[in-house]
Amino acid sequence: MGSPRLSGMQKQVLSLYRGFLRAARSKSTEDRRRIESIVVAEFRRNAKEVDRKNFLYIEYLLRRGKKQLDQLRNPDTTGLSSFGLDSSRNREP
Amino acid sequence: MAMRAAILRHIKVPVRSQALAGLRSREWNLSGGALVRFMSSHDEHLTKEEVMERVLSVVKSFPKVDPSTVTPDVHFQKDLGLDSLDNVEIVMALEEEFKLEIPDLEADKIDSTRLAIEYIYNHPMAG
Repeated sequence: MGSPRLSGMQKQVLSLYRGFLRAARSKSTEDRRRIESIVVAEFRRNAKEVDRKNFLYIEYLLRRGKKQLDQLRNPDTTGLSSFGLDSSRNREP
Repeated sequence: MAMRAAILRHIKVPVRSQALAGLRSREWNLSGGALVRFMSSHDEHLTKEEVMERVLSVVKSFPKVDPSTVTPDVHFQKDLGLDSLDNVEIVMALEEEFKLEIPDLEADKIDSTRLAIEYIYNHPMAG
């Protein structure tokens, strides 16, 4: 495996991931921990389940993720309730 | 530089009048952490050994990593079995450890402890 050169789309995904983790840093410790665990799980799940040749769907996920990130960057946003994630897929532990 | 000037100014505080010291005490507290860090090293810049030690300790504490496999020259994905998402998390943890923000373009290149040490050691703002 190693680290093959990243495609443009992979870079966008990693950049979005980084963006979410950065945005989470600006929240309270508790909110941050909650946000991080959801973000990590969501990216992991998609990395595993989404066919990496399904560019249209990945592009859609990227667009949706960017919108969600913009919301999360708002200082008034303290959690992911306004996040618009498919809640049926995010069971609270 | 601004930080350094601020610290040097504070170091003079004790020899000044009490009133002035009182006025400045709030600032003093704010820069306390930086002052300790500043005085604990011989130089303003981190030594390579210090950078290496702290980078290795961040990588070793990453949950998916077996600490005994971490050396100053391991590749995160080839040697430690991590993936690109883990790689992002490690670089973010290093940012926090050294109080840096690493731009995407650079962060994507940091894929081993060797490159991480190199990058951070050469970064003027690493603290």
